[in-house]
Amino acid sequence: MMRFIVQRAVWGVLVVMSVVTLVFFLIFVAGDPAVTILGPQARAEQIADFKAKKGLDRPVPEQFMSYLGLMPCIRKDSPKYLRADGTRGFCGILQGDLGESYSHHESVANVIGYRLPRTLLLASLAVLFELVIGLTAGIIAALRRNRWSDTAIMFATFIGISLPTYVTGPIALLLFAFLLGWFPFGGYGVDPLDHIYHALLPALILAIAGAATYARVMRGELIETLRHDHVRTAKAKGMPMRQVVLKHAIRNALLPIATLIGLSLPFLVGGAIITEKIFAWPGLGLLTIESIESLDAPVIMAVVLMFGIAVQVGNLLADIAVAALDPRIRLE
Amino acid sequence: MRSTPKTEGWRPTRWLSGGVAVLASALLIGLAVTHFPKAPIGPRYVGAGHQSPQSGGTLIFSAGSNIHTLDPHFAYDTLSTAACRLLYDGLLDYDYEGNMIPSLAAALPTVSDSGRAFRFELRNGIRFHNGREITAHDISWSLHRLLSQTTGSPGYPFYKSIVGAPAYHRGEAELIEGIRVIDDKTIEFQLDEADQTFLNALAMPFAYPLPKEHVEKLEAAEGPDAVGRHPVGAGPFAFSRWERGVQVELHRFEGYWAPQARVDRMVFLENISPDVASARFRNGDLDVIYRPSKVNRLFMRESKAWAPYRAEVPSPSVYAIGLNCELPPFDNVHVRRAVAFAIDRSKLERLNPGEVLAASQVLPPMLAPYDPELPTRQVFDLERAKEEMRLAGFPDGLSEPITLWVRGEGDVRGAQLFQQDLKEIGIEIDLKMVSFATYLKETGKPRVAQAAFTGWHQDFPDPSNFMDILFHSRSIHPVNSENRSFYRNPRLDAILDSARAEVDREKRLALYAEANAILADDAPWAFLSYAVDMFAWQPYVKSFRPHPVWLNEYRNIWLDLPRERVSQAIYDEGVAR
Repeated sequence: MMRFIVQRAVWGVLVVMSVVTLVFFLIFVAGDPAVTILGPQARAEQIADFKAKKGLDRPVPEQFMSYLGLMPCIRKDSPKYLRADGTRGFCGILQGDLGESYSHHESVANVIGYRLPRTLLLASLAVLFELVIGLTAGIIAALRRNRWSDTAIMFATFIGISLPTYVTGPIALLLFAFLLGWFPFGGYGVDPLDHIYHALLPALILAIAGAATYARVMRGELIETLRHDHVRTAKAKGMPMRQVVLKHAIRNALLPIATLIGLSLPFLVGGAIITEKIFAWPGLGLLTIESIESLDAPVIMAVVLMFGIAVQVGNLLADIAVAALDPRIRLE
Repeated sequence: MRSTPKTEGWRPTRWLSGGVAVLASALLIGLAVTHFPKAPIGPRYVGAGHQSPQSGGTLIFSAGSNIHTLDPHFAYDTLSTAACRLLYDGLLDYDYEGNMIPSLAAALPTVSDSGRAFRFELRNGIRFHNGREITAHDISWSLHRLLSQTTGSPGYPFYKSIVGAPAYHRGEAELIEGIRVIDDKTIEFQLDEADQTFLNALAMPFAYPLPKEHVEKLEAAEGPDAVGRHPVGAGPFAFSRWERGVQVELHRFEGYWAPQARVDRMVFLENISPDVASARFRNGDLDVIYRPSKVNRLFMRESKAWAPYRAEVPSPSVYAIGLNCELPPFDNVHVRRAVAFAIDRSKLERLNPGEVLAASQVLPPMLAPYDPELPTRQVFDLERAKEEMRLAGFPDGLSEPITLWVRGEGDVRGAQLFQQDLKEIGIEIDLKMVSFATYLKETGKPRVAQAAFTGWHQDFPDPSNFMDILFHSRSIHPVNSENRSFYRNPRLDAILDSARAEVDREKRLALYAEANAILADDAPWAFLSYAVDMFAWQPYVKSFRPHPVWLNEYRNIWLDLPRERVSQAIYDEGVAR
């Protein structure tokens, strides 16, 4: 088990490093960050000044090594560029310095620090809804297989999977916020309880597709499990059906669900771009899309880094969870 | 307990029951929808009926993206500038007619040294939000902060005509020679050459003064970006809090020198998309809206109930097709003119009702010396376009298609119109769609883009801000050229240079009128449209007018509110008539 985790961690670091390298160079293929940040009204002088200040006038390999923290700092606006004793410091990710956002005039750590908790709140609520709604529906459908309630649930999941959030989002806003006034009209609110209230509707919308998937997977697995020998034995011994399902069947059926939850971790961190946009939820998703549009390289890099780490950790956790749920599986 | 086990497979009854369930739920939803409350077609709330300005209340408005900073020395986007307008104040400002007026300065400056020296006297009783009186030293110190390379503000190019500013910017001088503090109340600026637009530069938010003691303490404690988080200015509103990406809250500054603002608090919401903002506005949750979504804009234009509470004003910007004067066939002035005459701009107006006005020259309508009757103005005239093609030596059209660079779907829709128009004079257009980043990088290089969608939004209200930057040969560079049509005309250069230095306003405008005529005639750009912005406000929002320079101007608003909002939702257009 330990060996497996170490192996996976090393592998994960390599994958994240490769992604970071690739994206760093892709940003320069996409355009010139200084030109894009300053926009169509920029004077050549402003662009030159900006490049000098951010070290964008240096060769790209040097910029990359400096970004990693393997070569001295090239950002003149960093306190580490010229230390008090006259030497050049380092200001890369190895030193824990994510740099300063090009467009926000603020450190990337701050910019992300404001938004990450909001995205986590929205996403964890969404996952909660997915699980509660999806698993309940799946279990009901499996136990009432081929009855009309099963048909209705499966039909609903079919629609749920097919409808994208950019359709359901605006409809939900129109109905529940504008016409009925049950929910706030997008936004984030001002205090913690208010934040949760504002998160309910977008979280529900976000949860539709996931809940539908969980319901279908749960139904299939549970039907399969109910046919297993141990379930039949339990039933034969006269165990009440309720206990058979809760104690013996569901636990087995949860295995693939655990994997699915682990795989959805990156989405927790990365934010839901479209939903955030529709509901004016000021999280990471909105920040990501904005940063890509304006080629705000330090923010893009930081988001990629975080996302890469989340994918790796999520996969690892999924594997560990499966092993924990099913003693037959050994991680090698 | 069932006696017979169920069999898998197709069973008609099951499918029938499923179908009935779906049908029933569709029917239920349908019935429910018809019984949903309706949205009001007019304002939901009206005012209390006060005639004279009342104090108090909170004004809520929104924007579609982020405020990037509240440090005026870095505010270079529309939203950050709009927020800084409320928090800070400068020496000069503009009135609602677009004329320059003194603000922190007691009067417009005395000009000497044939337009190269400007002396300002400061007003008495002007204070920062921390209570300290503003002196000439503050104006000087703030400009030094703005122009130092360590600060790295994008504002530098607007002030480089001050004597010694370039040397200071390069780090070769301790102080800027041309900024002279005479006494606590008097400051003088000395320029390298006469430049009337320097006053416009001083009215830009870049030049708003900050209190030195506050900035130095903050920067030492929290780093160079701290001022943007804890702003202290001299504007009519002081900073309360900023929940990043959500909203900025301000409160009235009681020590403001001018008649004080009436509103107690301002809440500036961020990241509200136009659709959500429009719906919130119609719901009565937003007080003022700027640029509603397309659907809501059409609705507001048609609605009689909203008619007294909306305004459509041209924004100080121009959109065009830039024609590269170095690349064939647009090195030939006749081909450029042919394109300018061939475009039917009324199609654009029909495609975007109320959102654009046909453009005929580089200057937008509110900026003198715009001339609706300009003899060389660009208008749709197919016969003249064909005649110009004959003069150019292409009576049967061009043999090769033209490549037009576009920046996205919005451009493509417009471009398809011109494809049809230009086919009439025998010019085929190939569209090259690129990302905004690629577009900016590549169109700034000579001899790359043959033609490209382009435009300009004024930095300050002066014709030089359009003409010098876009068409002077000085603005041509090997990379990141501001003159993206690479148009060179020594005669135009000479006119622009003398206009820039001319102190006499009438003579100055005459020179720009001449330049305006040349540009329309030489057609380095085929001008397409001026954007029109829509504003709408709730009936209880009083004294709101779109500002010709700042557009969103919330300083003078008062709210005609009773203790709570009076609901008077109108669901039937008949009531409003």
